[in-house]
Amino acid sequence: MKGIVFTEFLDLVEDKFGLEMVDYIITKSDLESEGVYTAIGTYSFSEMLQLLKHLSARTELSIDKLLLVYGEHFFSVLETSYPGLLASYKDPIEMISSIENHIHVEVRKIYPDAELPTFTVVDRSEKMLIIDYTSSRAMHHFGLGLMNKTFEHFDSTADIVLEKIKPDGTEVRFVIHKN
Amino acid sequence: MNNEIDILKRALAREKSARKSAERILEEKSRDLYRISQKLETLLAEKSAQLQGVFENIIDAYVIIGIDGDILKFNDAAKRLFEYNIDEEPINVVQLIFPEDHEYAMNSFLDLKKYGYFKNYEARVLTKSGEVKWVHINASIVYDVGRVPIAAQGIVRDITEIKNLEVQKEKLLKKLEGSNDLLQEYAHIVSHDLKSPLRSIDALVHWIKEDNQGQLDETTIQNFKLIETALEKMELLITDLLDYASIGAKDTLKEEVNLNDLMRDLQSILFIPDHIKVIMPKKMPTVIGDPIKLQQLFQNLIGNAIKFSDKTKGEINIDVIELEGYYQFSIKDNGIGIDQKFHNKIFEIFHSLNKSKSSTGIGLSIVKKIVDMHGGKIWLNSELDFGTTFYFTIEK
Amino acid sequence: MNNRLKILLIEDDTIEVMKLKRVVTTLGLDHQIEEANNGEAAFSLLKNAEDLPDIILLDLNMPKINGIEFLTTLKNDDKLRYIPTIILTTSNNQKDMLACYRLGIAGYILKPLKYEQYAKKIEFLLAYWSANELIK
Repeated sequence: MKGIVFTEFLDLVEDKFGLEMVDYIITKSDLESEGVYTAIGTYSFSEMLQLLKHLSARTELSIDKLLLVYGEHFFSVLETSYPGLLASYKDPIEMISSIENHIHVEVRKIYPDAELPTFTVVDRSEKMLIIDYTSSRAMHHFGLGLMNKTFEHFDSTADIVLEKIKPDGTEVRFVIHKN
Repeated sequence: MNNEIDILKRALAREKSARKSAERILEEKSRDLYRISQKLETLLAEKSAQLQGVFENIIDAYVIIGIDGDILKFNDAAKRLFEYNIDEEPINVVQLIFPEDHEYAMNSFLDLKKYGYFKNYEARVLTKSGEVKWVHINASIVYDVGRVPIAAQGIVRDITEIKNLEVQKEKLLKKLEGSNDLLQEYAHIVSHDLKSPLRSIDALVHWIKEDNQGQLDETTIQNFKLIETALEKMELLITDLLDYASIGAKDTLKEEVNLNDLMRDLQSILFIPDHIKVIMPKKMPTVIGDPIKLQQLFQNLIGNAIKFSDKTKGEINIDVIELEGYYQFSIKDNGIGIDQKFHNKIFEIFHSLNKSKSSTGIGLSIVKKIVDMHGGKIWLNSELDFGTTFYFTIEK
Repeated sequence: MNNRLKILLIEDDTIEVMKLKRVVTTLGLDHQIEEANNGEAAFSLLKNAEDLPDIILLDLNMPKINGIEFLTTLKNDDKLRYIPTIILTTSNNQKDMLACYRLGIAGYILKPLKYEQYAKKIEFLLAYWSANELIK
């Protein structure tokens, strides 16, 4: 997993719960990296799972809830770091539809070894989008957070219903209705 | 408090390590980049060397011009062709265009801009010394990575000599056509001028005989007869010569000729003695050609067959077979035959085998010329005393 | 019943002139023959004549003005263009023949080699024209 996901995650934890919480989840976890992360490095996904598990236990917030908030936060990272990418879209549905064919392509230019989820458009109209998420990481709520912020970015809102196709969350359907 | 300091210390230590790890990663990346760029440079150098080789060794002139028309690069051939050393004297492509071809050149440049290339441009250029040369150019636009046109490149071939030859050829053809026409005219005038005295002699001989009727001895009357025969032979010679000269003249026709009709006409023109039978078992085809000349062709060959018949029962067979792309005709007689050693010569003009009153030695030359004109070939099979078969082909 | 023709013979060859005259004499005909050696002479004759010839016999190949040029000028003359003109020539050149018919001629006769044949042709020609009603 790319280092930026860790650094941004820890920044957000520090922001919301303080440096003590950061120290706690790192110390509590058994990390190969010893909690030393740099945005350009690559680290094991299991480290992220441990960090999330301990944060969830300590804050009594579900992992999904945490990932949702993190996803929302991560969108702002994209906004500041890659304004050009967002500027090329006029509409949130359009942008979400092109995750696979455009955004991930751009991501791979910067991080050639990034392991990215797969997004498949099932149905799409002007106001509605059905898109399937597939990833062994089951970080669908991270995606949901990004989607929420995407609508916000374009000054609109949407009802997004998440249906698990597989119970373990490795395959999830997003049914999006734009308001 | 202590706890807080510990947390901060740990955080700081992590930040330091992270920085160092980032630096290490970056160093590795930059080493990677360096290696890659080294590789690319080597590759580029190789490709450049190859291109440079092509550029220098290409026989044709190779020219690169900027978008504004300034010449950016000349290879050695281009330097020799245009005589400019562009390193010392900058020139624009417009200076090279021959004034009369300016419009054509400008239109071609528009094409180049519009389509990205032009092909088979042929026009004149001016060299530094003011010499005019014909060139053939294929050109294309050179784009940068973003598909923005940055230059145009062209391969320029000097075709001056070819063009000159073409012009010369055209001139020669024109001249030849002119002299052919003139020759035709001459042939007619000469034939008139040659025939006039023959007529006069004939009239005078006639009058002498008439005016001295009963007073001339047998020898004189015989001599007058010989004069008349000589006159007829001379007249025939002139007529045949004129015919020969007329074949291949500009007014040759190309139309559908039904050879059955032609044969019917011929039978009424030719005098066929009673002891000679003309047999034509097959229906004749319709061919494309000049009707008068085709008639002359058959007339001469059948006429010859009649003329050289020496059997009590003469037979002339006219046949045709259809082959791929042409018809093959044959005219077979059972006459005197032609010795093998003359087979090659008989189509040559004035090569008469039989010095007779009715033969000028031009007939078969005319036949050959007509067959040539219709894209065919002529040959013969013959055995002395047994007869001759003439074969000829006519294109479909 | 047969007309006595006034014939203009335009011919540069003395013997050809003699031939025509001899045929007329031999046949015992009473036609009047006028001669001109070339086109120019023929024109001056025609311009000054009190009465025009009934027919013109014209040789094509002549010095000064050739036969076709003569015919062209003749056919452009309002008065002279009506005189029937018969070509007497050696030339069976298709081009000449076409040019003559295009300009307007009353006949085109090839001079044969044999005098007897010539005499026959002239006999027919004269018989034909003397049987014609001509503008006087």
